[in-house]
Amino acid sequence: MADSTTAAVVAPRPAAAVPACLLAWLLPGAGHFYLRRPQKGLTFLGAIGALFVMGLAMDSRLEMAVGLDDILASLFSLAQMAIGLPYLAARMLGYEAGNVTSVTFEYGNTFTAVAGLLNILVMLDAYDVAVGRKA
Amino acid sequence: MSHFVTLLLFAALVSLVFAVLMREDTRARIRFGLTSFAAFVGSAIVVGWLMSPFPS
Repeated sequence: MADSTTAAVVAPRPAAAVPACLLAWLLPGAGHFYLRRPQKGLTFLGAIGALFVMGLAMDSRLEMAVGLDDILASLFSLAQMAIGLPYLAARMLGYEAGNVTSVTFEYGNTFTAVAGLLNILVMLDAYDVAVGRKA
Repeated sequence: MSHFVTLLLFAALVSLVFAVLMREDTRARIRFGLTSFAAFVGSAIVVGWLMSPFPS
């Protein structure tokens, strides 16, 4: 409700669409913070961040498979990369290998990939908010 | 963490994001989020039940 109130005050900013999308990719919810929708931003950061962290805790592998050799692996990798900086940070902290023998390995993979896919929707939402299609 | 708790957490977090993305009003968000959560959990239980006769 407070978000609707904020949206009524904050006018669309078409020029901010590209920076908002880039920020939204780098960190879930950052694009909405930039567009002065802090409640939405906080919700996305909390929910998508929790999905990603729980995926790592469930021994997810963070593959960086690019190329046409294995299309499915590349798409899966792109889905994970869509969460932006948390993906890179997790890889730098040594979480890239995962643990394929863990009973929760596939669950973890699902959590991290879905977190990235949801972040793509959040980026599109940030674009819509910036151009005035959504509040 | 049990498989069912994992399912509940996944359904809750994804439903929360869907609700905030797809509805603007708080009341509509709550209704959409709860419906989405119930659909996630219900469909998982139904699919699990349908697969139960098959050997592992």
